[in-house]
Amino acid sequence: MARYIARRLLLAIPVLIGASFLIFAMVFALPGDPIRALGGDRPISPAVQEQLRDQYNLDDPLLVQYGKYAGGLLQGDLGTDFSGRPVADILEQTVPVTVKLALVALAFEAVFGLIAGVLAGIRQKSFFDNLVLVSTTLVVSIPVFVLGFVAQYVLGLKLGIFPVAGVASGFQGYLLPGFVLAALSLAYVARLTRTSLAENLRNDYVRTAKAKGLTPLSVVGKHTLRNSLIPVVTFLGADLGALLSGAVVTEGIFNIPGLGRAVFGAIQTQEGTVVVGIVTLFVFVFILFNLLVDVLYAALDPRIRYE
Amino acid sequence: MTSTVPQAVPAPKPTVTGGAPLLEVDDLSVEFRTDYGVVKAVNGISYTLAAGETLAILGESGCGKSVSAQTIMGILDSPPGFVTHGEIRFRGEDLLKMSAKQQRDIRGEEISIVFQDALSSLNPVFTVGAQIGEMFRRHRGASRKDAKASAIELMDKVRIPSAKERVNDYPHQFSGGMRQRVMIAMAIALDPAVLIADEPTTALDVTVQAQIMDLLAELQRETGMGLILITHDLGVVGEIADRIAVMYAGRIVETGATDAVFTAPAMPYTEGLMASIARVDQKGQRLNPIVGAPPNLAMLPPGCEFAPRCPRATDLCVAERPPLREIVPGRRSACHYAEEVLGA
Repeated sequence: MARYIARRLLLAIPVLIGASFLIFAMVFALPGDPIRALGGDRPISPAVQEQLRDQYNLDDPLLVQYGKYAGGLLQGDLGTDFSGRPVADILEQTVPVTVKLALVALAFEAVFGLIAGVLAGIRQKSFFDNLVLVSTTLVVSIPVFVLGFVAQYVLGLKLGIFPVAGVASGFQGYLLPGFVLAALSLAYVARLTRTSLAENLRNDYVRTAKAKGLTPLSVVGKHTLRNSLIPVVTFLGADLGALLSGAVVTEGIFNIPGLGRAVFGAIQTQEGTVVVGIVTLFVFVFILFNLLVDVLYAALDPRIRYE
Repeated sequence: MTSTVPQAVPAPKPTVTGGAPLLEVDDLSVEFRTDYGVVKAVNGISYTLAAGETLAILGESGCGKSVSAQTIMGILDSPPGFVTHGEIRFRGEDLLKMSAKQQRDIRGEEISIVFQDALSSLNPVFTVGAQIGEMFRRHRGASRKDAKASAIELMDKVRIPSAKERVNDYPHQFSGGMRQRVMIAMAIALDPAVLIADEPTTALDVTVQAQIMDLLAELQRETGMGLILITHDLGVVGEIADRIAVMYAGRIVETGATDAVFTAPAMPYTEGLMASIARVDQKGQRLNPIVGAPPNLAMLPPGCEFAPRCPRATDLCVAERPPLREIVPGRRSACHYAEEVLGA
């Protein structure tokens, strides 16, 4: 197992190099001149522009630019944004915020999604099952920015249950955005759990568990749920990456100073080093969670063994 | 008695009072309410089982033999399955009228079952030791350690080699025959009064089949449990069954002592079954299958269900369903012409 994990982590290195180069190239290919845009309505003098371009290597060809960036990276230097702020500082400030948001969202998904899915799955065609089916279809059909604004307006502004925006109030500020961020995946988790559980309940070994005189709770909770969780775990693992990128919209709506807002701002101002730094981090998180999911498989199902 | 497996002494359980049978199935009917109509899977079957007796329930796929077994176990999927009529009396008490908890306490403790396909019937994510030991944990409140010790003893008893090392293995690490032994170990763990074996050897190699049947017969001799053997394998029946009940289209169409039924069937369907076996002394000749297919259980005919396939069928058979009646002492047949069939 340890060797398997080590091999997977080694494989991540070429993936990260490739991904960072691709992202770098895409920012390079963006139309427009980031330096001229810096000045906005007041043009910057050509001399200053020239100096800035030189400082950020913007006149070099793509490969040279990337080479210089990667060289800095190897020395632990993630570069700076156009105002001279180190990308490492940006990450240090935004990562904890987004991680908190993603964890709150993941908790919503896992807890409410699983409960709804299990209750619907054990009583198919019941009222609750239909309720879950209808409500999840509804949630899946609503774009996240609509849900976000409606939740913000009703629960934040009108009813005043949650802070309208920002995370200055601490943990409370994460609840509503966390829920909005989770809503779509929560619906998927509920449906996935429902289907998987209903399917597994038809297995012969469930019949065996009943024949042993076990209680219904034990039949479902012990003998069925563990087998049913494999597809759900796959989804949750892959989804954590999606939660990070989905945070772009949610963080925007609720004005949360996280990674999503930082990367969105950096794309607008074409600050390549910032975009590459953050998105490569996303890629790394994705790889890590995929590995974690594969390791969890083996824990859930003894038939799966890695050499 | 939490940590040790009952040894080879007849079960120290309350004996049957007043000579009443251990298990009585009385006019049991089960139907499945599906989107395509009501399927009458079991239609008024009755039989009894005494301690130490082996009753074989014989019939082709879909005749209701497994459904009746699941109903006795109380593990019928409901919906769609419903018991519409009848009683299942265990030691004189109707299982169907008991509370869910009472039924659960009997399940596995007093009545247990061995299923056909051990691979799919064992949970793939738990060790065999945990699955066998679960019986002791659920019904006897045994500790994990004691349950495991009991599991090892049982695995020894059903002759799984090096039980001590294999107790922590998972079902997929065993061969088909060994897996069925694990199933049997689980079923006999608490020394049940009744064991239902639902086609226990169908999924196995022929050589392994014989070993498993020998094991079942041996365990029965040791413990004195009543055994209901559900099968479509006539060879298996002939070897270990005391009595036979032949099922067709959800009904019992013939019952009697094994030898008597084998030598002289009293129902054309049984006759057809006997004639369809491949026999060494008829080598080179064609097999004699029963032509046609069983009736659709959602649309049963008013007369004898076997009439459309029966070489002896008359107008009476099509019009009127023959009841199961005693033709000679100990023999029952559901055929208008049972005496003629028997005499033939």
